[in-house]
Parts: sequence; C-alpha cells; structure tokens
Amino acid sequence: MALNSSSPSNWEGNEKISARNISRFYGSTRALADVSFSVADGEFFCVVGPSGCGKTTLLRAIAGLEDVDSGSVVIDGVPVTSPDLNRGMVFQEYALFPWRTVRGNIRFGLDRPSCECPDCETRVQELVDLVGLDGSEDAYPKELSGGMKQRVGIARALAVDPEILLMDEPFASVDARTRDRLHAELLDIWTQTEQTIVFVTHDINEAVTLADRVLIMDDDPGTVQSMVTVDIDRPRQRTAQAFVEYVIQVRDELGTSHSVTEEPLMKDI
Amino acid sequence: MVANTLEVDLQRCLRGLGGLFVFLLVWWLGAMATQPSYLVPGPLDSGRAFVDLFATSTAIIVPVLGNRLVLPTGFAHLVQTLFHYVPGLLLGASCGIGLGITMGWNGALDDWLRPLVRMLRPIPPLAWIVFALVWFGIHHTGAAFIVFVGAFWINFYGAYSGVEGVPGKLTDAASTLGVERELSMLKLVALPNAAPQLLTGFRTSMGRCWMIVVGAELFGAPGVGYEIINASNNLAMATSVAYMFLISLAFLCMDVGFRFFERRVLAWR
Repeated sequence: MALNSSSPSNWEGNEKISARNISRFYGSTRALADVSFSVADGEFFCVVGPSGCGKTTLLRAIAGLEDVDSGSVVIDGVPVTSPDLNRGMVFQEYALFPWRTVRGNIRFGLDRPSCECPDCETRVQELVDLVGLDGSEDAYPKELSGGMKQRVGIARALAVDPEILLMDEPFASVDARTRDRLHAELLDIWTQTEQTIVFVTHDINEAVTLADRVLIMDDDPGTVQSMVTVDIDRPRQRTAQAFVEYVIQVRDELGTSHSVTEEPLMKDI
Repeated sequence: MVANTLEVDLQRCLRGLGGLFVFLLVWWLGAMATQPSYLVPGPLDSGRAFVDLFATSTAIIVPVLGNRLVLPTGFAHLVQTLFHYVPGLLLGASCGIGLGITMGWNGALDDWLRPLVRMLRPIPPLAWIVFALVWFGIHHTGAAFIVFVGAFWINFYGAYSGVEGVPGKLTDAASTLGVERELSMLKLVALPNAAPQLLTGFRTSMGRCWMIVVGAELFGAPGVGYEIINASNNLAMATSVAYMFLISLAFLCMDVGFRFFERRVLAWR
C-alpha cells in the first residue's frame, strides 16, 4: 500500500485540470497556500480535509467563482478566469431556485442563449429519468426531501453537458441510506457521461467509496498533505479488507499533522 | 383528520362571529347610554346611514376627461377617492420599485443615495401636504401626490431589501449555468427571488395609502375622507361611521383580492 504522495503514471497522461501553485488570502488569513495538483480527464477525484482547510475555496477557484491571489487553475491548457458552462457545480446546500419547479430548475442552464439546444424538453425529461425524479417534475423544491433536492442539483448541473462536474460536499445533509444510494447513482452517471468529477468531502468513507484518487488537505493554511490512489474495483464493499485499509491510510495521512483530529473525520471509522 | 380540521375551522368561525356579536352589543349599549345621542351613533343608526348612502345619487366630475358621472352617493365618493388613490399608488409603487431594484442591485448608486434615503424616508407622507397644497392645490392631483409619497417608500424598501438580499449561492449557481450579464442575473435570479418581498411591500402600501388618502381628504380633497369630516360638521355622526365602514369594506376587498393573487403567483413558497 505504498500508494501515497507519488501518483502512478496512468493519471498523468491526459491532464484535464491543473492547479498550479495557487494561493488565496482572506485578509491576513491564508485559505490556500501554494496548492498544486492535476486531475486527469475522466477521473473521479476526491478532496478530503478538515473544515476550514480551504477545500471549498479550491473548488470555487476551479469553478471560476473565486479569484486566486497567485498561481492559476488551468483547464485544457486555458487559465480559468470566470465560470463557464463546461464546469458544472453541485452545491452543498443545493442552491436550487425555489421559484422554479424540478423541471424549471433542470432547464435553467438550457435556456441561456449561449447554449444551443434543439430539443430541450426531451433533454430535461432524460435528466429527470436519469436521476430518478419522474413523477416529481412539477414539484417545487420546498416539496422535496434533501436527497431529491440534490438529485435536482445534479441533473441541473448535468443539463448543459459539462465536461467537468464540481461537487461541494453534495451529500453532507442527506441521511446515510440515501447517501449510499446517491453514491451508486453518481457512479453510474459518471460511467455513462465519462465526465471528470472533482468531489469535496470531509467524510473519508465517502472519498474511498467514490474516488480514483484522494487529495488530502491540511488546514492552517490550506496545503496539500498527500495523495492516495484508491486501487479497488467498483462497486466497493465497505467491509472489505482493502477498503478498510485505505480508510485507515487516509485517516492516518490526515492525522499526521493533527494531534487531535476533528470529530467529523472520525465518525465512520 | 379532514373532519378534524373542518371542526377547528368551524370553531374559529363561530368564535369570530361571537367576537363581532359581543362588539355590536357593547356598541349598542354604549350608544344607548350616551347622551346627547350624536356623540356615539348606534349600530342600527349607522347601518341605516350606510344603506342611505346608496339610496341617493350624486354627480361627480371625472378628472382629466371632465365629464359628469352620476352614481349612488356612497359609491360616487368612493370613486372620487379612487381617482387619486389609484394613480398615486400605482405611480408611487412603480417609481419606488424601480429605484429600489436599481439601488439594491447597483452598489455605487447605493453608496450615493443611501444617506439621502435615510434622511428623507422618516418624513411622514402627510407632511408633504404643504407642498401638495402649493404645487397642485388640494384636489385630485395634490391628494395623489401624497399617496404617491406613501406608496413610494414602502415599495422602495420592499424592492430594495428583496434584491439586495439575493443569496450568493443562487447567483453562484446561475453563473455556473451560463448567466454572464448583470441584467440577466437580475431578471433570472434577483427579481424572482425578491418577488415575495416586492408583493408584500405592495400589499402593505395598499393599506397604508388608504390611511394617507383619508388624511389628505380631511384637508379638503374630494372623496370618502372628506365626506367623513363633512358629515361630522353637520353632526351626522352615523353617516361618518357609514363612510368609515365603506373604507373598511373597500380595503378588505382589495386586500383579499391581492392576497389571492399573491398566493397564486407565489405558489412556490
């Protein structure tokens, strides 16, 4: 299991996202300090770290929602300056438009003039089916459970067919059983769409369940602690020996710089 | 459960009717006990006066057009009030909403105007009556002007706080879905998000403007407010009460109508 730090060659060929020495300050606080890594095309890439380690800032920087003070995020060789339809984002608190129905939310990105869509209705219906929301098309967000809201969030981001899907702790507010089901569905969607996914979480089990590689971040300031490649076939069994060993490895990596690890990191172990 | 809520509704209805009945009884006894009788006109006298409002007819002049209109007296004076109430309310609401949206959305304009707004807003609309008198004279235009001032501020604040308070996560989501121009963001996110506050602002202004309009009419503009003071000058207090009741009815109808409209538009809440 000497898989940490140096990534194996199969993730280096077709680089999709490259973070190059990015730093971000909030006043005198450093949220990100000289963070570098790259994500391969089609990779499922997880970022774990304690609260306040800058992982959300990192994701927002990739999305183009947040400027960096130095360094750059480069996608397909082009530096990120603003949000773009090729990077979809799924938010922790869903961020659905409450005045739009399920259908209306999913359709939002398709209505932009920048997106040409020959048959939007069919596309919306496909997505409704894909995330298992048929029957709730005309419901407003307030009528949906947390898991259903996040399904809408995912479908809305997928609608414009982005090459990259950025997910900010998307399942943090749904119950454990729903989360397991959403993990399986997300992996199915990922296999179908062959998108590159960057998934931020503080849940080690979640990261090991989903990721090809796990980037471990450290707080104070936000730096890259190490990288772990999870080499287990999917679907992954949480009780399998290999799975447990990866979880322990990630936890140990996270723990090395902390005398006391934050409670959420420990909860599932 | 259904039977249960019906029972509760029935109970509340009966209690409401009971409250009204007790009030009428106290009013009736109080009126009987008071001498001279014109000090407190009783419910029966007031009811008769209300009916009498519609037994005679009165000719009024339609402003701008200048033609005569003959209507049942009570109705005629209500229409006179509406001749300045409606234009004042609609114009004030449009201007207030317009400025509120612009200021809530444009930070620089907000900086420029905020101290001015803070200074002007506490001035009660009726204080502007002096300018209404010297600029327009106290007729329809003068009264409409005062209604305008009242409607302006309430709607201004509804629009301003609604637009200013748009959650960052919604604008973030919209930017990742291809909304680039400020105007599109306003139209697609900020305004629908502000709709509840906008509508509440308008509904509040409808009520407040009734108070203002009656105030303006006490200074001499034609309408129900003027008739209240006119009747009391002749010690026909029961007629004053009848006009008060007419105002209450007119406001109730408008409020119920608008709430119905609001519920339909804001079904997503």
